[in-house]
This record gives sequence, C-alpha cells and structure tokens, in this order.
Amino acid sequence: MSGIKASAASLPVFSTGRVYAAIKPILWLTLGLAVIEATVVLFEIRPYYLPRPSAIAANIVATPGAYISGLWRTVLETALGFVAGSVFGVAIAIVFHRWTLLRELFFPLFVVSQTIPVIAFGAVVVLWFGNTLFAKAVISFYISFLPVTVNTLLGFNSVDPRQVQLMRSFGAKDGQILRRIYLPAALPQLFVALKLASSLALVGAIVGEWFGDTTGLGVLLLQAMYNENVVGIWATIVVSACLGMGLYSLVALAERRIVFWGNEQ
Amino acid sequence: MLNRRNVLAAFAAAAIGLQGFGMSAAPASAQDIIDASLRLKWLTQAQFAGFYVALEKGYYKEEGINLTINPGGPNLLTENLVATGADTFGLSGGTDSVFAARDKGMPVVCIGVSHQQTPFVFVSHKDGSVQKVEDFKDRKITTWFTGANHVLSAMLSKVGVDPKSADIQPQQVSVTPFVDKQIDVVTATRYNELYVINQRVGKDNLNLFVPEDSGVSFPRDTLIVSEQTATEKPELVERFLRASVKGWKEAFANEKEAIDIIMKIAPTLDRAQQEFMLKEVKTLMVAGKASTDGLFTIDKAAVGSANDLLAQYGVISKPVDLDKAFNSSFIDKIPAEEKRL
Repeated sequence: MSGIKASAASLPVFSTGRVYAAIKPILWLTLGLAVIEATVVLFEIRPYYLPRPSAIAANIVATPGAYISGLWRTVLETALGFVAGSVFGVAIAIVFHRWTLLRELFFPLFVVSQTIPVIAFGAVVVLWFGNTLFAKAVISFYISFLPVTVNTLLGFNSVDPRQVQLMRSFGAKDGQILRRIYLPAALPQLFVALKLASSLALVGAIVGEWFGDTTGLGVLLLQAMYNENVVGIWATIVVSACLGMGLYSLVALAERRIVFWGNEQ
Repeated sequence: MLNRRNVLAAFAAAAIGLQGFGMSAAPASAQDIIDASLRLKWLTQAQFAGFYVALEKGYYKEEGINLTINPGGPNLLTENLVATGADTFGLSGGTDSVFAARDKGMPVVCIGVSHQQTPFVFVSHKDGSVQKVEDFKDRKITTWFTGANHVLSAMLSKVGVDPKSADIQPQQVSVTPFVDKQIDVVTATRYNELYVINQRVGKDNLNLFVPEDSGVSFPRDTLIVSEQTATEKPELVERFLRASVKGWKEAFANEKEAIDIIMKIAPTLDRAQQEFMLKEVKTLMVAGKASTDGLFTIDKAAVGSANDLLAQYGVISKPVDLDKAFNSSFIDKIPAEEKRL
C-alpha cells in the first residue's frame, strides 16, 4: 500500500486548492484499496495468496486491543533504539572525525559488526538482557547506528577546509568549530541517515520480538505466520507499514523544520 | 518526559534481568517466595495451557514460587537458556533436543516428559501416489531436520526402503505446497499443522502415517532444569512439578476456561484451532505410560528408543547416559493418583 501512496505522490500535481491537496492521499489510498479488493474478488484469488483489504481491516477491528498494545510496545522499542542509535552514531562520527587513528582502527570492526545477521545476534541479546523492552531496543540500536555514523562522516568531509582555517585564525576552539561548521554542514546528510535509521530501527524491534515475547507487532507477525493465519500476517504488515510511514514522516517533518536551507551548499 | 521515563524503566528492567543471572531462583523476600521462570519452546498457545492455568489460578504461588512464563521463538534454544541460568525451568523441544544438549555437555536434566508419543505424523493425499510407507520411495517429502527426519529415516528403513531413495527436503512454515500437491508427503504435528491441513484438504482425504505404527517413538516437549537447580533446590523442582500437574489437570477438566486464559494473553489466535490443539495435546499427554503413572511420567523405554535412534543416525556421538539425562525422582515423588486424569 505504501507503493501506491508513493506513486501517487510522484504524479504531477494539478493543484485545485488546499482541500484537494489534503484529501488527495486519502483518495488515492481508498481508490487503490478498492482496486485491490475488486481484483481479489473478480479473479477469485484465494485468501491464502492475497486476502481482501476489507477482510484485513475486519481482522484488525476484531481484536483491536492486541494490535494497539503490540503497536505501542513496538513504538517504544523502536523509539528507544532509534534515539540511542542516532546519538551513538553521531558521537562515534565525531570521535572518528577528530581522531583519524581511531577511525582506522575501529571503523572496519563496525562494518564487520553489521555483517553478523541479527538472527544470530538476537539469541545472545536475550541471554544477556532477558525478555525486556531494553533487549529489543538493543537490537534496534545495533542495526540503526552505522548508517548514521557513515553519513555524518560524509557530511563532515563536505566542509570546506578554508572555512575551518578562517575560524581557527579567529581563535575558535574545537568545540565551536564543531558546533558552528561541522554539525550544520552534516545536517542534510545526517537526516538522510536518520530516515534510513528510522526504518531500520523498526525492523530491529520487530525482529527482536521474535526472540520470545508476549506483546509487539513482531509477536503478532510470528504467531500469524506459524498458524497460517494469512489475514493476520497482512493485518500486521499493514499496521507495521503505517508505523514505518509514521516514523519516516516524523523525521522528514523534523528535517523540514531544522534543515530549512535544504541540501544546497 | 515520557521517553525518559521509558528509558529509566528499561534500565530498571534490564537491571532486574541481569540480577536474575544464575540466581533467578534465589529467595526474593522474607515470605519465602522464590522467583523462577519457565521458558517455553514456542509462543503462547494451547499447547502450554496447563502452565498458564496454574499461573492464573495461583497454583505456583501456593507452592511458594513467583513464576514468570517466557515464550520461546525461532532460534531460541531452551536448553541454552536453562543451562546458563537465564531461565530456571524450560519446556524444551523434546527428547531429541535434550540428547543433543547432553551430547554437547550442557548441564541440563529432564524432569518430566509431556508428550508421551511422537506428536507428529506424516500425511499424504488419499487420491495421491502414496498409500503406504513403502510408497515413500522416490516421492517428494518435506520434514523438519530437527529430529523428525530421523524418525522418517527409521520408518523407511523398517520397511526396507533406503531413506536416500526418497526426495526429502526441509519443511518450511507453510503447508500450502502440500495442499497444492506440489509435494507428496508432509510432516504435521497433531495439534497444529494437521488442523490446517484438515481444514484445507478435508480430514477424509488424507492418509496418516503414525511413527508408533512402525515401532518408532519420539516423545517430545520435555521439562528441563539445570543440573545445579536439580541438586541444590530439589524441593523447588518438586513444587514446580506439583503446581504444573495441578494446572494441567485443571486445564483438561475445564477446557473452555483454559482456552479463555490463553486467548486473553494472545487474542489474535483462532479459538477453534486452540480448542483442537488442547484436545490433541491431551491425547499426547495421557498416552502410553502416562495413562497409568500420570502426567509428565518419564517412560524410560520410549526415551531409550529415541536415544538409540539418534545414536544410530549419528546425531549424537554415542548413546547418552539415560539416568543422568532423565531424572524421574522429582515427578515420582508426586503420587500417581494425583497425576492421573
């Protein structure tokens, strides 16, 4: 469904006022769902392959409590992992940028750490942290911090060294240069990374919930999968997609507010 | 603000988790209530109803245990979590996983066997090419490579079919390939996959091949503790078993309420499927020696046959010392009439 929305957004806009602009995404979404519903009914697609959107909606409405508590739990894990991953990612980027030797020593290790499949890593996390919200946040953190580090470093490198020399000649300290030049210069790149990290953090939280838990979207997904409850799988996918889009939009909104000058240099 | 509170809560939870290491069964308060956890082999479902009933009805509390039930998941090995002390008790895969763990030197002991018979069967279409075990030759079969594959090999060998002559593939989550007749024989647990297959193909259109009919038995769903718990806190193990048995008897006596308790925890489950599951689990739990000796009885003969089977196929390097791996002294302390349904 996110695909439909994305393609709708990329269509040329014939603006006929604000009202239309506001309801346009909803219109397109409704139309898209209606088309899917009609396709499933017309071609008699079996529900094991693709259930009707109305059946998926009915499934969510039938047990809203499970989806709401699952959503809330996953939101908490994702938020915790995302914030920790972003802060850590930026901090490491600053350290690596300031001390090149450290980057040469440790950056390869960071890259290696990302090649370990989360599935292999998850069992260890449960062993260490038990079935806590914190354990899921750790997995979420683990897969979201590296894009932030890489992109922030890229942003730092885009700084014109002459600007830094000029600041230094005025007697600016390292901290000032970081705050006034490096961080603002890295912001556009950083937000690219944060958008990526928001989706990754969600994936991390959902996968984290596969390691023995009682609530969360990951648990619902797993339960539906192993009971061959296809409608349930789709219902969870829809809820997860909504959450993913929500997180992404939040980061995009923050980007529009903070990086008001855009990506131009 | 909210975020900070959550961070703090998470840290607190993590601290408790860390504290639980190795001493999760240490006395928690002056009232002599002991904290303990039970790690299941899978997510909450009717397969584990008795434990949830015992928890809900306070049977563990009555025995002085403050029990937490932790669900399992893919890639989580219950034996591992129990051996390291992360969890006190475990309902693990079965005799197969206990043997494998013992073979690797993990200090876990089985204190009770839940499913007295092989809980899975092999299924073929009645209008298909497989009508008897001999027909498995050259056919497409899917099974789980966690032990079921060896049961299959043993069944084939008994009728003189070389297991290599059948096209045996690892089985994925879905039984759809079987329903669509892309494969000839599928493996199904009586309490889960068989329900889905019955629903989609029809009970009367299926042939079932039962391992016990071929003289192969593979008891599963084993209750385990670490060797340390078994030697240092035998009374805890005994009390846990007593409460669990009581919970299971209650679950079978009042199935509707048991399903209610499960559905309250996992509301998205299909109620009809859960009811079917509880009925099938009951059949498995009271089969064989459990019909006379009661729930969780360790049938050394059945367990021994699984031991020999696994050693024969080289899954374990040599037969495991049965008396060390399976300790029936705890469950035997509970009188049979208390354990029988």
